[in-house]
Amino acid sequence: MTARIRALLRLFAIQASWNYERMQGIGMGYAAAPLLEGLKTTAPGRYAEAVARSAEYFNCHPYLAGVAVGALARTEEDGVPGPLIQRLRTALCGPLGALGDQVFWAGLLPALMALTMVAVAGGAGAWAVVSFLIVFNGVRLATAWWGLRTGLETGLQVAGAMQRSWLPRVGSWLGPAAGFLVGFAVPASGGYLLRGAPTGALASTLGIAIVGIVLFHRLPAMVTALRYGLALVGAALLWLWLVP
Amino acid sequence: MTLPFDLSIALGLLGWGTLVGLDLVSVPQMMISRPLVAGTIAGAIAGDVASGMRVGLLLELFALDVLAVGAARYPDYGPATVVASAFAAASPGAWQVVLGPAALLGLLLARLGGWTLPYLRHANARVVQLHSAELAAGELGRIEAIHWLSLIRDAVRSFALTGFGLLLVALWLRIPTHGEWLPAIAAVGAAMAAAWNGAVRTAGRGLRLTWVEAGAVAGLLWAVWAR
Repeated sequence: MTARIRALLRLFAIQASWNYERMQGIGMGYAAAPLLEGLKTTAPGRYAEAVARSAEYFNCHPYLAGVAVGALARTEEDGVPGPLIQRLRTALCGPLGALGDQVFWAGLLPALMALTMVAVAGGAGAWAVVSFLIVFNGVRLATAWWGLRTGLETGLQVAGAMQRSWLPRVGSWLGPAAGFLVGFAVPASGGYLLRGAPTGALASTLGIAIVGIVLFHRLPAMVTALRYGLALVGAALLWLWLVP
Repeated sequence: MTLPFDLSIALGLLGWGTLVGLDLVSVPQMMISRPLVAGTIAGAIAGDVASGMRVGLLLELFALDVLAVGAARYPDYGPATVVASAFAAASPGAWQVVLGPAALLGLLLARLGGWTLPYLRHANARVVQLHSAELAAGELGRIEAIHWLSLIRDAVRSFALTGFGLLLVALWLRIPTHGEWLPAIAAVGAAMAAAWNGAVRTAGRGLRLTWVEAGAVAGLLWAVWAR
């Protein structure tokens, strides 16, 4: 297995040692290790230093961590001075985090998940769920490979390469699509879950939802979605047990 | 106390709960921890895909409120959904009666799971501090050992959470249920509010909010038509 493939596989576990001390740092060191092995022969004096640097503090979106792993390994290979590598490392955290959040957490994931929810509500069954897993992970795997390759090819120039890439463009149109699909999925899923319920029940459900939305808006620190759900369902069950 | 499942099913659910608990943060983050996925497969393991999918859909609405950015704290819906789906599959009542208690069980465990995550991260941080000299010296073996031990720690957390949840299922199934829609209505109403809250918060005040609203109108029309 080549070093790139081994690094790619390790990227899937990049957050396994996530902690409040170095965040993804240890995971970065673990993922970068196969790419740094070449230094053992080309620059043995530099190897331990590079390994130590690779496990220092780092945090970004986990799906784009490959970009940083690749770029930092390339700079080590090129013999770039340590302080400059550390500066690059620090500089990559914010942009890779923000871009990944925009494209994946606020774009692709809610869009595909909402589409799956609508498909389930429409009667597609378990196939919708299987399709979601295939499509999402296909994109995720392709992105991880592309990110690692881009990082390794561009090294210190990685920021410019990211700016010119497809990611910012995709992020800008995924947002509205995700917004529409999630908006669609909320009533569609609610309607599916209450299929067969009396008409009054639907009005009550909408009432509960509207009160919840107002409370989340007015008292955001006190009323969270999870607390609201726990309180309401708990109260409803208690009521039925106490008043049979 | 006896479990409501065969041993093989209970072990399957424990294994699946552990995997989805790991998927949330540690490995492989392929979204099997999303409630709709976790619930559907848990339902299949427990012998009732439809119940698992329904519970998964309900808890997915709650999960849409969560934006897992940076070092944010959030509930762990994966093992919670596995347990709630197992409850729904094992419960003898009609699905509208089961949905409410399953939601309560799922939300309680999601909350509990969310509380365990900071402890896990602090435990990982303590180990990193303990070995800071070896890390500074570039000892690759130490980096790999810390990484693998952290992974095992998360697996134990997920396993314990799922196991505790399955014990709760065994206890809860002894409580008589009433054939009423009320808890299901409360659960679905709260879940819709949660998903809407997440969608609006992510949208901000820009064009995306208009798309959310347009989607909601279209979804409402579709729901009425499908009814």
